[in-house]
Amino acid sequence: MKVSLFVTCLIDLFYTNAGKATVELLERLGCEVDFPEAQTCCGQPAYNSGYVKEAKEAMKQMMRAFADADYIVAPSGSCAAMLKEYPHIFQGDPEWEDKANRLAAKTYELTQFLVDVLKVEDVGASLHGRATYHTSCHMTRLLGVKDAPFRLLEHVKGLELVPLPNAHQCCGFGGTFSVKMGPISEQMVDEKIEHIEEVEADYLIGADCGCLMNIGGRIGRLGKPIRVMHIAEVLNARN
Amino acid sequence: MPMKIENGPFWKRVGENLDNDFMRGAVAGMQDRGYVRRLGVIEELGHWEEWRSLAEQIRKHTLENLDYYLMQLSENVAKRGGHVFFARTAEEANDYIRRIALEKQAKKIVKSKSMVTEEINLNPVLESIGCQVIETDLGEYILQIDDHDPPSHIVGPALHKNKEQIRDVFRRKLGYTKSSDPVELARHAREMLRRDYLTADIGITGCNFAIAESGSITLVTNEGNADLVTALPKTQITVMGMERIVPTFEEMEVLVSMLTRSAVGQKLTSYITVLTGPRDEGDADGPEEFHLVIVDNGRSSILGTEFQPVLQCIRCAACVNVCPVYRHIGGHSYGSIYSGPIGAVLSPLLGGYDDYKELPYASSLCAACTEACPVKIPLHELLIKHRQIIVEREGKAPAAEKLAMKAFRLGTASPSLYRFGTKLAPGAFASFVKDGRITKGPGPLKAWTESREFPAPSKERFRDWFRDRQKGGNPS
Amino acid sequence: MTRGAIHNRDAFLENIAHRLGRAPRLSGVSRPQWSAQPQWKVLAGYSQDDLLAVLREQCKLIHTDYIETTNAGLAGVLKQQVTAYGGGPVIVPDDPRFAEYGLSALLRDEWPAERTAIHIWNPALGRQNIDAAEQANVGIAFSDITLAESGTVVLFSRNEQGRVIHFLPKTYIAIVPKSTVVPRMTQAAVIIRKQIEKGVLVPSCINFITGPSNSADIEMNLVVGVHGPMKAAYIVVTDR
Repeated sequence: MKVSLFVTCLIDLFYTNAGKATVELLERLGCEVDFPEAQTCCGQPAYNSGYVKEAKEAMKQMMRAFADADYIVAPSGSCAAMLKEYPHIFQGDPEWEDKANRLAAKTYELTQFLVDVLKVEDVGASLHGRATYHTSCHMTRLLGVKDAPFRLLEHVKGLELVPLPNAHQCCGFGGTFSVKMGPISEQMVDEKIEHIEEVEADYLIGADCGCLMNIGGRIGRLGKPIRVMHIAEVLNARN
Repeated sequence: MPMKIENGPFWKRVGENLDNDFMRGAVAGMQDRGYVRRLGVIEELGHWEEWRSLAEQIRKHTLENLDYYLMQLSENVAKRGGHVFFARTAEEANDYIRRIALEKQAKKIVKSKSMVTEEINLNPVLESIGCQVIETDLGEYILQIDDHDPPSHIVGPALHKNKEQIRDVFRRKLGYTKSSDPVELARHAREMLRRDYLTADIGITGCNFAIAESGSITLVTNEGNADLVTALPKTQITVMGMERIVPTFEEMEVLVSMLTRSAVGQKLTSYITVLTGPRDEGDADGPEEFHLVIVDNGRSSILGTEFQPVLQCIRCAACVNVCPVYRHIGGHSYGSIYSGPIGAVLSPLLGGYDDYKELPYASSLCAACTEACPVKIPLHELLIKHRQIIVEREGKAPAAEKLAMKAFRLGTASPSLYRFGTKLAPGAFASFVKDGRITKGPGPLKAWTESREFPAPSKERFRDWFRDRQKGGNPS
Repeated sequence: MTRGAIHNRDAFLENIAHRLGRAPRLSGVSRPQWSAQPQWKVLAGYSQDDLLAVLREQCKLIHTDYIETTNAGLAGVLKQQVTAYGGGPVIVPDDPRFAEYGLSALLRDEWPAERTAIHIWNPALGRQNIDAAEQANVGIAFSDITLAESGTVVLFSRNEQGRVIHFLPKTYIAIVPKSTVVPRMTQAAVIIRKQIEKGVLVPSCINFITGPSNSADIEMNLVVGVHGPMKAAYIVVTDR
């Protein structure tokens, strides 16, 4: 099965290990992974800030870059959800509507792809310690992926998964919200970290690098001994 | 109190509220208990998504045919002997109500909870002609006697006050001598207000849902105050936002079922009252005269626009009760009687961007509001639309942001520029990186690094790693 | 009945039509067939006994005493409940069901003999009815329709049954004939609509009452008994 990876800007630039883990994991499960070099950004930073024209240019570039893909897999619920929004955004556009529909139809978030398309739940991973999982808002509410990460994590050997209190609550990232509304965002992420500490987790696992950058960045500033990992890294772990 | 709360600029309001530990604790407690309760009643009801779909269809159909249903409503009210006044503006509505008060030589007016009368700022108009206006909803009553403290929540207006503060207000203003026990406080309010109901000349109410087919209005409360407000004074005036209408009893029933569950996690509140016209001939209670004031006040300018779904709102505050931003900043930070996500969408529409330009940004777009809304208003999408208007039409976006977005457009629309730009990142950031992270960032990163570390760009981008690996032909 | 006045309607409605981008629509609109109708699935297929069991459970949640009796035992149970609430004064509507249910003796002889003050709503007495309701310790009325799901009694106002009977007394007792129990508000709405379609005028006031009055406006603490009754009981008559 040929899979075209949409790696997302944050992973391309900052969290390359999550990208590498995604590739290795997919290959181990028998996929042929392709990385369309012309990919840029899903357009979300501009779109959510109200710069729709600017966002659309990025979106068109994505549609061009992934025109030939069979499956598009992104290790980010938020970016995948953005791609799924393209049909709505290009509705009535004679040149781009069909392309947007096609792109959206073949887009999957990583854990969704593993569970729904590849039909695997046990990827043979092992990681020792106590972990809790942050359910990203866009992944659960916009993309509707709620169970897949848990099904996969439950099969990771050695991992004790504990539920995160108030899991439904946003971590305070929200893209430009985190800088425009910094003092409010800070209170939100602090509450999230309190809950992570409450369950005494060694690992905080997530499927969205935006949230992880936010929670991890605050954990780093506060000097808390909690390791932040992308779910691809956990599923690729063999120790 | 008008829609706008005069309490300073946005960041001053937010700062004060972030420091208000009692308010934040009260809001968090309300949200956490409410979350469990609401999900419980929704699960017990079953088929919630079908309910939402039905409610959305009802609201959309009614809005699309609003002129028809208002025509039908007004005809049926008039047939039953009630008077109907269509008010395009707050001034028209206030003027009509003032004229009635003058005509009746009213001295005392009792009111049940109504957001729209807050919005049009009715009370000062009546007070200016010498009427004593008394709010009877317990929360509203507390705020009123505390020198008109603004409401901080559309369902629980006094949520931000603790019982000691309430006791002190009662002592100061009502000669209260008992404790801060909520039961004692409520009993005292009961005694005070009982006399007022019995001696008031006019009763004023809001309207949860008007029923077009029968010319009725529906009032939803737990306290029973709206019933006494409408049963005892000789004149009843009901003020409704023009969109608060349903075709028949059957649709009212569906929306009430969703309102009470979404607002307070109850199957029904203690009192749901459907009133049609004035008292029937031969009745010994109920108003002798009934006036229905139907208010536009900016709503019609929302019709036919991409914001039309906001008029589906049934004022349940489910969105407020799940909002993580409201949780920390409370209602007063919004500077409007409409707070939370619905307030962030509605306030700029009714009050303009000059006063409310920050509100559409006071959201992490987590979509908890959209998910909770019983009538499926896409709240977070409407916030993005506001942002788009602020950028494109209002030109209120900061210059640095515009520049950044221009760069975004150039960089993301062209793969070669993107590759070039991202290649430069590690070098550009190099001087700020310490131990693999950035603690004090330049430009837009500064706000981020006020409270968080920013990751240093990887030395090797993912795409470089992938390309090298392909060339090498073996997995790393 | 004198028709009421309507002010400023035409321009107001024209503006709405204009904003909606179409010609005014003042007649000929009918409700569509809603694609989802989950309200009919609630308690569907429940027998009258099943519904009563639901009502009983719901009463626990709404701070309402639930008492079952047969018609023969009603007078005794009612008298006992009024005593439990501290006795009179009592106010009741002038409702023929009091006689039909064998309560005339209690109302007209027993209570007066025991000096329990009783006021029967009489429209000819005007304001005196309201004063009596204000003085009353207990208000008693028959439920016209009863909603099992929410534990709600539905009451239609009429000349002989004032609105404030349900609100001004300190405590409230609803007599609930088992035959009035329906699953939920959905069925009540249909019953009322059928009357409207037949051309019957809806009563000027329809009350859906669910337990005693309450508020959570002070620190989210539930206070039972704010402006309306502070206690409530439903006496269910199982053979009526």
